[in-house]
Amino acid sequence: MSYKIPMGPYHPALEEPYKLDLICEGETVCDSKLRIGFNFRGIEHLAETRNYIQVVALMERVCGICSNIHTLTLCQAMEGLTGLTPPPRAKYIRVIMAELERLHSHVLWAGIAAKLMGFKTMFMTCFEIREKVMDVLCAISGNRVNYAMNRIGGVNRDISDPQAILKMVEALELEMAHTVIPIFTTSRTAISRCANIGVLTTEKAVSCGVVGPTARAAGLPQDIRRAAPYAAYEEMEFDVPVQPAGDVTARLLVRALEIMESCKILRQALAKLPPGEINTGDDKFPFTTGTATSRVEAPRGEVMYSVSWKEGSRTPSRVHVRTPTFANMPAIRWMVMGARLADTPLIQASIDPCYSCTDR
Amino acid sequence: MNILITSLARLLIFPGLVFAVPAAWFFLWVERKAVARMQGRIGPPFMQPFYDFIKLVGKDTPQRTGASGMLMKAWPLIAVSAAAGAVGLLPVLPASGGFQGDLILLLALLEVPSMCIIAAGFSSRSIFGEIGSAREAVLSVSYNVVFLLAIISIAASQHTFRLDTLAQLPASPLRWLGIAAILVCLPAKLHLNPFSLPNAEQEIYSGPMTEYAGPELAMWELSHGLEWVAATGLVATLIAPQLTLWWVAALVFVALSFFIVLLLSVVASATARLQIDTTVRFYWQCTLIFAVLAVASALFMRLRA
Repeated sequence: MSYKIPMGPYHPALEEPYKLDLICEGETVCDSKLRIGFNFRGIEHLAETRNYIQVVALMERVCGICSNIHTLTLCQAMEGLTGLTPPPRAKYIRVIMAELERLHSHVLWAGIAAKLMGFKTMFMTCFEIREKVMDVLCAISGNRVNYAMNRIGGVNRDISDPQAILKMVEALELEMAHTVIPIFTTSRTAISRCANIGVLTTEKAVSCGVVGPTARAAGLPQDIRRAAPYAAYEEMEFDVPVQPAGDVTARLLVRALEIMESCKILRQALAKLPPGEINTGDDKFPFTTGTATSRVEAPRGEVMYSVSWKEGSRTPSRVHVRTPTFANMPAIRWMVMGARLADTPLIQASIDPCYSCTDR
Repeated sequence: MNILITSLARLLIFPGLVFAVPAAWFFLWVERKAVARMQGRIGPPFMQPFYDFIKLVGKDTPQRTGASGMLMKAWPLIAVSAAAGAVGLLPVLPASGGFQGDLILLLALLEVPSMCIIAAGFSSRSIFGEIGSAREAVLSVSYNVVFLLAIISIAASQHTFRLDTLAQLPASPLRWLGIAAILVCLPAKLHLNPFSLPNAEQEIYSGPMTEYAGPELAMWELSHGLEWVAATGLVATLIAPQLTLWWVAALVFVALSFFIVLLLSVVASATARLQIDTTVRFYWQCTLIFAVLAVASALFMRLRA
């Protein structure tokens, strides 16, 4: 006899409201249905009523975790419409902010995953480290969540003492290499919870069109930073970690390795930070009629913005956002099929869903 | 007359209700505080479990009607009385009096709260309660085999089912083996990590307790605390050395129970929650290993005697 278990819209395992209806037989999940839209705020419509300065501040509020990525993508798209090019120092600062944000997002995800395994000690350890990443972000931008760093043609704040930031990053790297990564890769209870569950095969990953760490953990070597470099990523040396297994362990490993790669990029960017201006200094922008798109690699995968403008207008005529969770969430259905009920919270969290971005 | 007074004193004063209820709150606090400190949190203040109890007791809950409503009210009360009775039977004080077969009664009483939890989950008719109860049932048939085997093999090797005689016998390898086996079962009995399956909040909210609130939930909390006292107390009485002074015996009992609570908290905070099939496999493997060791050891002791 099968029965339906509603997971959500409010559930201890979910960070944000969405609903997963699980059709179960005993403790085994046969099928599932995903419902979203509980967090709709109409931000895309609001954006059409804001001018080019306000819209940046508005789009920063799309997501509470990857707020910098959204303004970065928007500003890159708007720079495409105005023909401005940010100075090299600004591009480096954008890379530094993006990588710090990736660190903070991955550590936060590790904490949530630990909590879903019932491993609350690990959750606390991860959140302690995340606090320190936020301290670094705060030292650079003056803010902990909405950094307000990006603007059309550059960034708002300079990094005046890269050496001090470098020291903080190195301390963080050491701490993560000694706590989070070994515990997740050696703790027997943790491994027994993650191995061989929520498997997404490479073929299924291609047909679902998944992006980011979810795709890389299914053996697809895709990364916008490598495929279509933006900001200063062309000048950085880094590896794109790929795991072929496609289970939750693979997703865990991909993110753990990405944490180390992010630290590598941060060290390079802070060491090579070029001198010069941090923005073009314009405050009036000559928008041309047309549509510009921009893609960046957010912590969860590819974010795409498509911005349309009419010449002479102060407000955009359309701002369209495509978030990585929108691409990744259909895969949840295939991942939970045949899984045990106890594993479903962890499986749904393994794509690192962000419904705040998806619903906006 | 004398026996009646001692029995009543044991049930109501020490180690019964007057001692056991504050001890239950104290152990709940020790566990929460120890886990919090290990996780880098501050943890609750000393009186928190007591405040929780008072606050829950003071709450109004919607009236439940019908047979299932009455059953839902009855389960926590049965659980509390059984757990309190189990604590009252513990031979903490020297020459406190006992009777032949009180070990069997203690084991039965220790089992009642978990049965009440299973029944409560099913009578609450919540899907989460039912899954939690099913998990508790599976868990309880797995760990109880080890638990009962451990205690019965100790008792059988000493030819007695009297708790106080058992507690005063000299330590033997079989006894330590039994204590180790009981300690392995305690996390599952007390719903602690890595076996906190029936109340896995990220999966099924609080399992069988999902539909409970107010005074009924307070009773569940109390019965859980009393289970802590009874389960750790059982191990403490088995470990405790023979003492003649009653207050030294009581102090040693409390100190030993305290260390067992700390030990369980360390295990709980250092592990993730296992899945149900891994757990069942673990306990049946334990059963197998322990059965072989216990039978071998019992035979060896018989041969020597």
